Amino acid sequence: MNLTEVKNGEKAVIVRIEGDRRYLSRITSIGLNVGCRIEMLQNVKKKPLLIYGRDTMIALNRKESERIQVEVGA
Amino acid sequence: MGNTRQIALLGQPNSGKSTIFNTLTGMHQHVGNWPGKTVEKKEGKFTYKDVTYTVADLPGSYSLSANSDEEIVTRDYVARTDLDLVCILADASQLERSLYMLADFAGIGTPAMLVLTMMDVAKNKGKKIDVRKLSEALGINVCSVIAYDKKTYDSFFAGMEEAIQSGKRLNADALYANIRQSEGAETFDAYLEKAGKIATPRRPKEWIAMKMLEGDEAILRELSIKGVNQPPADPKGALYTSDARFRWIESLLEEAVVDEKKTSELLTKFDRAALGPRSGKWVAFGIMILALAGAMIVAAPMMGIGGALPSLLNPLADLLGNIGVSEGIIHFIKATLITSLGWVVSMVGFIFAMNFVFGILEEVGYMARVSYVFDAGMSKIGLQGKALMPMIMGFGCTMGSTSGARVIDSYGQKVMTIAVAWAIPCGATFVVIPTLANAFFGVGGGILVMLLIILIMIVHVIVTATIFGAKLNPADKRSGMVMEMPPYHKPRWGFILKNSLMRMWDVFKKAFSIELIVCIIFFFLSYSKSGIEGSILYKIGTFIEPVSSFIGLKWQTFMAFFAAMISKEAVLGVLSAIFANSGSIVDTTTGLAATSDNIAQIVATAIPKAEALAFIVAVTFNIPCLQAVVSTYHETHSAKWTARIGGYYILTALLLAAIVYHVSGLFFR
Repeated sequence: MNLTEVKNGEKAVIVRIEGDRRYLSRITSIGLNVGCRIEMLQNVKKKPLLIYGRDTMIALNRKESERIQVEVGA
Repeated sequence: MGNTRQIALLGQPNSGKSTIFNTLTGMHQHVGNWPGKTVEKKEGKFTYKDVTYTVADLPGSYSLSANSDEEIVTRDYVARTDLDLVCILADASQLERSLYMLADFAGIGTPAMLVLTMMDVAKNKGKKIDVRKLSEALGINVCSVIAYDKKTYDSFFAGMEEAIQSGKRLNADALYANIRQSEGAETFDAYLEKAGKIATPRRPKEWIAMKMLEGDEAILRELSIKGVNQPPADPKGALYTSDARFRWIESLLEEAVVDEKKTSELLTKFDRAALGPRSGKWVAFGIMILALAGAMIVAAPMMGIGGALPSLLNPLADLLGNIGVSEGIIHFIKATLITSLGWVVSMVGFIFAMNFVFGILEEVGYMARVSYVFDAGMSKIGLQGKALMPMIMGFGCTMGSTSGARVIDSYGQKVMTIAVAWAIPCGATFVVIPTLANAFFGVGGGILVMLLIILIMIVHVIVTATIFGAKLNPADKRSGMVMEMPPYHKPRWGFILKNSLMRMWDVFKKAFSIELIVCIIFFFLSYSKSGIEGSILYKIGTFIEPVSSFIGLKWQTFMAFFAAMISKEAVLGVLSAIFANSGSIVDTTTGLAATSDNIAQIVATAIPKAEALAFIVAVTFNIPCLQAVVSTYHETHSAKWTARIGGYYILTALLLAAIVYHVSGLFFR
C-alpha cells in the first residue's frame, strides 16, 4: 500500500520509493529512505500528510506521497 | 599564522545556523546576492585571539544535491580552495536526520568540524551523546553550543582554531565502504575513472561518483563539458546513496548515542489545533491578527516619534531665519530633510516591529505550521504557505509585507512574495480610497468600488505571481511540500530584540539617504515660484495629457497618480493643492500644508465618473509608497529587482486604469 493509505496513529516501514531523481533526493534528504520507520500523525483529505519519522514531524505533499510504498505494522 | 581566516556555516533548516551566525558576528554583517544567482549571500566577521574570521552563512538546505540554486551555491562554496573551515551544524535532538548534511558533505576535502546544537532538548528527550566517540569516528572536532548564548562557545572557538591549524578532514571511508556493499557498488566503481576528470583535491572522485550515481544534473553537465558522455543514471541511484549515508549515520550513532526513549506525545494539544484540517486556519488567522496588532503596538512609539518629528523640528528650522538663512532654503530643508527624517523614523519603527513579531513566530516554530495550513492554496500560485503571513500584513502596511517576507527561506520566492504583496491595498489606501469613492459614487457606490478593488486585487495577485514566478520560481522547479515541522521552542526575547534593533539600525542607515534623495528630486519636480503651472511636473503632466487622457488621466489626476508613489496620503494632498488651492504640491505631499477638508467633494464635481474610477484604480495599484520601495530594496538587496517590481506596478496600474476607464465609459455618461 502507499503512504496515503496509512491511517492516523498507524506505524509503517517504507519499503519502496518511486519517482525521478529530484523527488528521491528531496524525500531521502529529509530522512525518509527505504527502511525508515514512520508513524502517521494526520491523514485528512486535501491536506498534506503529517508523519513522524527519525524523531521529526514532517509534512508531505499528498500526491507525491502516493509514490511511497509502505508496509503497515512491520 | 595570517590574521584572517575564512569559515562557512553549513546546516539544514532549523539547525540553529542563523542564530549561530548572528551570535558570532553581531553587527558585522553584510547581506547581498551571489553574483548572477537569485540566492542570498550572508557574510559576517568576528575576531578571536587577534585573528579576524570571515563567516559565510550558507543557505539552509537538506542536502547538497543540485535541486535548487541555493544548494548549488552551497556546495560550490564548501569546496572552494580559499576556505579554511566548514562548520557543519546538526540538531542534537534529531541527530540521525540532521547529520544527513554531514553525510552528504563527506568526501569534500575542506577541513571541517561538527557543531551540535539543541543539546538541552536532546537531553530532555533522553538522548546522551558521546561527543568524543563521535569525534574519533569522524576524524574531526565535535563541539556543542547553545546557539544564542555566546558564553557557551568556548569549545567552539577552541575546536575551530585547532581544526584550522591541523586541517582535519572528515573521514568518509566508512561511507564509501557502505556504497560498495550496496546495489550501486559496480556502477560507483565504474564511475570513479570518469569522475577523476573533474576531480580536485577538495572535491575528490569518490564524492563526484556518488553524485553521478544520483544522476546529479550539475555534475553531468560539468562532465559533458569535458567531453565525458554519461549514459542516463539508474533512477534508483539516489536511493543507493541515501541508503549508504543513513546506514553510515546509524552505525556512527549506535556507538555514540545512548537513547533512553522517553515516550512523549507526538502531536501536542496545540498542534492538534494548529494543524487541524479546520481549526488550523482559525488558529492562523487569530495569530495573524494578534501579530498585526502586536506589530502596531510595538511600532506605535517609533511611528509616533516619526510623525511628530516635523512639528518638533520645523520650528527649529524656522530659527535658521534669525541667522540669515533665506526662507526658500528653510522651506527646502523642511520639505526634504525633515520630511524624509520623519518618514524614515516611522518606517524603521514599523520594520523593527515586524522583525520582532515575525522573529518570535519563527523562533517559536509556528511559521512552519502556517506553511502546512495554507499549502494547498498558496502552492497553486507558486508560493509557500507561509507567504500568506506577510501578505496579510500588507493590509496594514506594505512595509510589513516586504520586511515580513524575510521568513521565506528561498530568495526567489521571497522576491516573488514581495512583488505579489505590493498588490495588497494597505491601511492608508483603505483611508484614501473610500473617501474618494464615497464622494464620487455615494455610500452604496463606494462599497461597490471597494468590492471592485478587492476583485482586482485577487486577479492581480494571481497574475503577478505567474509573471514573477516564471523567472523566480519556474514551474519545472516547483515541487510538493516536503517540510519539517520543528518542535516548539520558547522564544529568546532578548536575542530577538537585539537582532531586531540591529536590523532597524541597518535599515535606517540605508533608507535615510535614499528617501532624502527622492524627496529632493520630488521637490524640484514639483517646485514652482508661480503657482502649480510653474512646476516641471505640471509641464510633464500637460505634455503627456494627450496620451494619459486615453487611459482616463488628465494632468491633475496624473500628478496625483505620480505623488501616490511617494505616499498614498499625498493623493488627497495633491488634489487639494490643485483643486482647492490649499498650498503647493510640495507642501501638501510632505504634509507641510493641510489638505482641504472637503477636497473629495470638490474633486467629485470636477472630474467625470469614468475618469474618477480609472484614477481610483490607478492609485490603488500603483507603487504603494516610497517606504515600500525602500524596504523592498533593503530586503531584496537588489536595485534590479526593486526597479523591475516598481516598473511593473506603474505599467499595470496604468493598464488597469485604461481598462477600467474604457469599460466604465460604457456605463457612465
